[in-house]
Parts: sequence; C-alpha cells; structure tokens
Amino acid sequence: MSASLAPECNDVKERYDTCFLKWYSEKYLRGSDRENQDCAELFKNYQSCLKVALNERGINKLVEEAREDNKDNDVRLLSPPKK
Amino acid sequence: MVLQHSTTHTYSHPFPTVTLAYFLRYSSPRLNPFATHVLSTDTISSHVDPETQRLHTTRIHLKKSRMPGAVYKLLPTSMTGGGSGDKSSYVLETSIVDIREGWMSTESRNLNFTGVLSVVERQHFAIPTNRGITSETDVTTTVNFRSRIGEKLRDKFGQAQAQSDGWFFSGWGAKRIGSTIESLASNKTQDQMGKSRDGMRLVLERIRNTGMIGVLETLRRERQIQA
Repeated sequence: MSASLAPECNDVKERYDTCFLKWYSEKYLRGSDRENQDCAELFKNYQSCLKVALNERGINKLVEEAREDNKDNDVRLLSPPKK
Repeated sequence: MVLQHSTTHTYSHPFPTVTLAYFLRYSSPRLNPFATHVLSTDTISSHVDPETQRLHTTRIHLKKSRMPGAVYKLLPTSMTGGGSGDKSSYVLETSIVDIREGWMSTESRNLNFTGVLSVVERQHFAIPTNRGITSETDVTTTVNFRSRIGEKLRDKFGQAQAQSDGWFFSGWGAKRIGSTIESLASNKTQDQMGKSRDGMRLVLERIRNTGMIGVLETLRRERQIQA
C-alpha cells in the first residue's frame, strides 16, 4: 500500500485503506450498505494522526485556498452529468 | 492565459472496476509501475451523501514534480527557490462516484507552485449510454494549464516599470513567459497522460486476473516485505 505523507501514520493509514477498499468493492459497488460504518473508527484514528502533519506542513492552508478558488467547480462536480 | 486540451478514451472494463482502479492506481508500484513518481497518498475526507448515495472522496498525493526543467530555467530563482526542478508537489484530488447513475467525476489540481503554473485535470468516467455496452467505460479527460507568472511579475515590478520598453518581464514579455510555461507543461502532460492510461490498464488487468481479494493480498504481502 502506498505510504502516508506522514510516516508515523503509515500503520493507521494502511488499516483504513484496506478497510475502505474492502467496503468499496464488496459493499458500495454492489449496492448494499452505502454508509461506510465499517471503517469509521479506523478513519478517525487515521485522521487524528494525519491532522498534525497537515498542519505542520501548512497543507491544510493550501487545501483551504484551493477550495476557495474552486467553488464553481464544486457546483459543476455536484451537478448530474450531461447526457 | 489558459491552455486546455481534452481527450477521450474507452476502457474495455466495466464501470465499477474502473472506479476501483482509480482508487488503486497509486497504491503500489507492483500494481502500477507507472506510478513510481507518487511518493504518498492520503485520504482527508470520505463520505456517502445520504440523499444521493454518492461517494465523495478527497485525497492528497505527493508527487515528484512533473514541471519540466525548462520551466525552471525560465524563472528567476526567487520564484522557484533554485534547483533543477527536482521538487515535489502536493496534488489535491476530489472525486464523486454515483454508482446508481453510473458515473464518476474527478478533479486533480496542484497545491503548490500555483503562482508559476496551475494544472487542473478533470476526468469523467461513465457507462457508454449511446452504445449500451456495460463491459466498457468511457472517459473524457480535460486538462487546463494556467500560468499567472505574467500577472505576478507585472505586479511585482509595478505598472510604470512594466510599461517601459525593453524590460524583460514587461508587457508581451511577461505574457510570453506565461504561455511558454503553459505549452511546455502541456507537452509534458500529453506524454504523461499516455503513461497514466497504461497504469490504469495494468491495474484493471490485475483486478480482472486475480480479483479484488488477490489485489489486496498483493498489497499486504508487499507491505510485509517492506516491514
């Protein structure tokens, strides 16, 4: 599995990724259990680890700026596709 | 100054598999040898909209910079921090999967160096509605290149100076640098897009041959070797 940008989060990331891929392929794609409760706890652990690194490296700020810059695109992405 | 190009492609794999390959495409160099430039991948948000059942995912990838060396040579070191262009850049990837309607929309944009060049790649994957073939998936890719370097330099040196003749970064000079950067990046990206398609195709083959369980097993074993 690919690494996390924060090496100290590799383990929790790995566990979450594995869970996500299993849920996605076995449940979401098959139309059952669309809520991903299976991985919620793992995601929380992963995020509390990752958050520190994102703040330290100023990545949070870059993401916010990109989102501000990008409101129009959100509208586009959220609208149904053109047939 | 904006440069855009679009391509379309058809994968001979069903739509659900293609969306899975999209999430897996950077997960391991053994699955995808064309992704060795990706240093890390992290998910920062993931949720299913309770009304639409769409899966919204945001990830951050750290990639070895794809900015061509020639771009760096064009720029003052005060803007690039020097070096040969061998830098890493963060990429923000947002995606939405609608499994009921059968489409996936994605967007990737660079988070740093945006003052020099911003690249936004959008992809739309869908079951081919006109042909009604569920074993294939159409994808449209659009990439936008925008360099604000001209504007930046004009701001930096002030309007008065920018209007004086002969100043390298003034008027058309600044504009030309912007569009040169856009076209250099665009050429490089066209090479890269072929590779990214090849990478997707390898991941898709892997899923077809060994199934998802087999893919997860490969990833797990690789991790054990590293540990």
